[in-house]
Formats: sequence, C-alpha cells, structure tokens
Amino acid sequence: MAIVKFKDFSWTYQGYKKPTLRNINLSVKEGEFLGVIGRVGSGRSTFCMTMLGLIPHFFPGRIKGELVVDGLSVEESSIAELSTRVGLIFQSPDTQLTGAGTTVEEELAFGLENLGVPQKEMNKRVKKMVKLIGLESFRNRSPFELSGGQQQKVAIASVLIMQPRILVLDEPTAQLDPLGTSQVFDLIKKLAKKGITIILNTQKINYLAEFADRVAILNKNKLVKVDKARKILTDVKLLRRNGIIPSVYTQLSEQLIKEGLYKGSLCLTLGDAKKMIKKVVKK
Amino acid sequence: MTPIIKASKVTFTYPAKVTALRDINLELNEDEVTAIIGQNGSGKTTLVKHFNGLLKPTKGEVLVEGKDTRDLTTAQLSKIVGYVFQDPDDQLFMSKVYEEVAFGPKNLGFKGKELKSSVKNALKMVGLWESRKKHPLDMNLNDKKLVTMASIIAMKPDVIILDEPTNGQDHQGIVKVESLINKLRKEHTVIIISHNMELVSKVADRVVMMYDSRVIFEGSPKKAFTKKKLLNKTYLKPPLITQLGQGVKGMPSDVLTINELVKELQKVSK
Repeated sequence: MAIVKFKDFSWTYQGYKKPTLRNINLSVKEGEFLGVIGRVGSGRSTFCMTMLGLIPHFFPGRIKGELVVDGLSVEESSIAELSTRVGLIFQSPDTQLTGAGTTVEEELAFGLENLGVPQKEMNKRVKKMVKLIGLESFRNRSPFELSGGQQQKVAIASVLIMQPRILVLDEPTAQLDPLGTSQVFDLIKKLAKKGITIILNTQKINYLAEFADRVAILNKNKLVKVDKARKILTDVKLLRRNGIIPSVYTQLSEQLIKEGLYKGSLCLTLGDAKKMIKKVVKK
Repeated sequence: MTPIIKASKVTFTYPAKVTALRDINLELNEDEVTAIIGQNGSGKTTLVKHFNGLLKPTKGEVLVEGKDTRDLTTAQLSKIVGYVFQDPDDQLFMSKVYEEVAFGPKNLGFKGKELKSSVKNALKMVGLWESRKKHPLDMNLNDKKLVTMASIIAMKPDVIILDEPTNGQDHQGIVKVESLINKLRKEHTVIIISHNMELVSKVADRVVMMYDSRVIFEGSPKKAFTKKKLLNKTYLKPPLITQLGQGVKGMPSDVLTINELVKELQKVSK
C-alpha cells in the first residue's frame, strides 16, 4: 500500500511565477527505500520538504493537486501531526540540533517532552535510540562536542524517537567527511532493514546502487522518471541527459565494452565490477 | 627551486589551549597542485590559515615567498595568497555578481582598465561572465561557489587555496571545479583541501596527509593511495577505481583512473 502519494502535485513559492515542483505523480510503498537524484536546483530539496508539511505550512505558496502521507492530507494537517509520521533530516546537523539539551540524551528527549510523553516511556525510548545509533559512550556528552558524523546520527535519532514510519533525508552526508558519511549510510541501511520507509536525496549514487529499491530522477522541477534502482542507474543516456554522472563502475564497464575487452551488461556495483574483471582477466 | 611556502617546525595552539598543529615541516612548490587530506578536525584548515596569515604560528615559522608571515599584515598576505571558503555563504555579501568579484581587487587598489580586465577574466574563467548582473544569493550552490572562486582569482594572488571545492556540488559542478583547477594551475600555485579522493587523484601532484594535528605523509597521489595503514588510521579510502585495482591479483596497487585500469586490463588479457 502507498504510504506517500503525490497526485498531480505542483508547488509554487510565494513571489515566484513558475512552480518549483511541477505535476508530480508518485507513490511510495510502505517499507520502500526510494533514492532521489538530480542536479542542484532541480527541486529535490523542496520535494523533501513537502512530506513533513513545511510546504505549505512554513513556507508560503500555492499547492495544486494533492499529497497524502500515511493517510493524512498534507495540506489539511499540521506540521505537529505530520511530525509523528514523517521525520525530516537536513544537510547540516547544525540546522537540526536544537541546542535545548546539554547532553545527547537530553537532545533526544526534547521532541518527546514537547509531545508530553510520560517520563518512563521517554527514558525507555531515549535509551533504545542511543543504542541504535551506537553512541552509548557519548550519551552524556554535549552534541556539539561530537564529530560531524556523530552529530548527524544524533539528529537522525532525535527525529526517529518520534517513531515516524517515514524518514526523509535531504543530502544528509553533504557536509561530512568519509568516516561520517559511512557512519550515516550504515545507520540508514539499518533503519531500512527495520522496515522504515526511506526517501533519500543524495548525490552519492554508489550508495543508492547498493541499497535503494527504486530511484527517482528530478530535473527542471519535474519528476523525469522513477524505476528500479538498477534500471535507472545503468541507463547512462538517461543519467547524462539529466546531468548525472554514472557510477565509476558503470563508466569502467562502458570503457571495457568499447575496447572490446568485455561483452556483457553495464556494471553498477563493486560486486558487478569484480565479476566483470574476473571475466576480463580469464579471457 | 625555492618553495613558495615553507613551514618549519610549526606548532599552533588556539587560545583555548587546544593544540591544532604539531611540528609541521612542509615545503610547497610553485608549479604544483597540492591536496591536503585528512579527517575533520585533523588540522587541515588551521594549517592553510597559516599560509594566508589569518593565523600566525605559536612556535616555528611560515615563510611565504621567502617572507616570514609574522612580518606581513593579513592585507599584504592576501595579495599573495587567496583563500576560498568552504561555504560560499560565509563569503558572499554584495548584491551583484560583478560587484562581488570586483570587491577584492578594488581593495587591493586595482583601478580602471586593470580592475575591469581582472574581473572580466575571472568571471570568464569560471564561466559566469553572462551572469554578472545576477544577485549572488539567487544563484544555485554550484554557481555561488564559482563566484567565490572568481572573487579570489580577480585579486591575482600567486597562491589560491580552495577549501572543499566540491562540497555540496552536483555532478556538473564537480566537473566544472575540476576543469577550473586545471586552468588555474597554469598561472597559480593551487592548494586544495578535499575529502573527494576522486578529485584529488585527478588534479593533485602532491598529497599532504594530516592526522591528529600532524603531517603523517607527503608525496604523490599514487604513493599516498597505496599507504593502506596510514589511510586507515585517518579513515580515508583510496578512490573506488584504485580500490578495485588493489583487489585484482597481479595488478599494480596505484591505478588511479578508469583509463589506467583499462590499460592494465588490456595488458593482462593479451
């Protein structure tokens, strides 16, 4: 069943003539991992903000069509209502962390306090979250003393603690170093396995190649195509037409085919590339 | 050849008693692109801030074009060393792209034709001459970053430092930055700080690896990416193509690009 459903959905920011999202039709199934790719300025970040209702409740503008999230019409529901179903993670953990808590545990409890969750239940959930993100030994540290990757994990946990069924992440690793990036992607992978619906906007298509069920391409404010991850990410013409450079493994297989060293389908993942090289070397 | 930047026994301790650099000895050559790599917090940005005089060493000395940075003002040094911030929003403040790029050279005393030509040249170089009348903050992140680069290029410094030039850029932006670095290297000494090992492998002549406030390696990218233990220590990984090559028996461990890997495979399959 669709947990997120865009129907002929368009959005125009106040003061703008042209829509930033134009006629989007998309259904995301419960438990699905959807990757979103596209150029800077294609509308990807705006797309991410729709599902929590930041659009239209925080940013003024005009909606056409309909967006239903976990049975709620986004236009008719408040951000507070939506926030118990959808978690949204931004690029920079600085944007997310409230600073209201002096420790990781307090930061995590902040959202629950606002919802009036009883103390006992709150402590239970905080403990569980700290364990899930692997920051037990940091639970009494200030979030601002942590590394970028650890901070982003705390930001994700502070959203997850509200027990949303959908997690939307807008370039969550763009500001992180390689260690932080792999920490955050490992966590996302773990959450996907737990059955949380994941919508991940990222430039890092190598990660999507490994984990995403489907990938959507946005370009010039439109949803160009959505299909199985492998189908989209190995369609090199489609990718290049939309300003996306295929994975290095795909590029390598293109070269080897061109040089006549390999006859087979285009590679996508490290695993594919290893198999291909075995074949080439054996020849 | 005398190095354009020379750091000798540089130690730097922030006022809050945090030591961010320990005993750094480094010589950077004029005609090289140097990439500084390392985990966040390893001291990369603190180090380059010594090159443009934003910071002065607590111990040891930094010579830029032979002069001790302690004897130069930040204004004097900014004529020699330009620093492009990681986040363009930290740098942009004028209402037109042209004015933004003209601001630095004007401050350095550029006037009339010289000013116009340096601004035009810089904007053409980054491919944004046509956008000169736009408001920088209305531009997308790719272009904002290119504006901040142009505003440094227009000051004609001998050394240009680019802090995380591809961060937050989309694929097209990364390609643009790569080709810009290759243009810049013809007239400037270029220093990049980057987590993007693909970029480093493509543009750098020399890699400086930092860990825990120290330089732990210095050498060519080919050498750097075979230093598995050092890379592990600093949580970095070689470019994906290099890693792939390292997994193949009989393949050199320093293959950096797709073309090199294809060539190696041609040899093996013959």
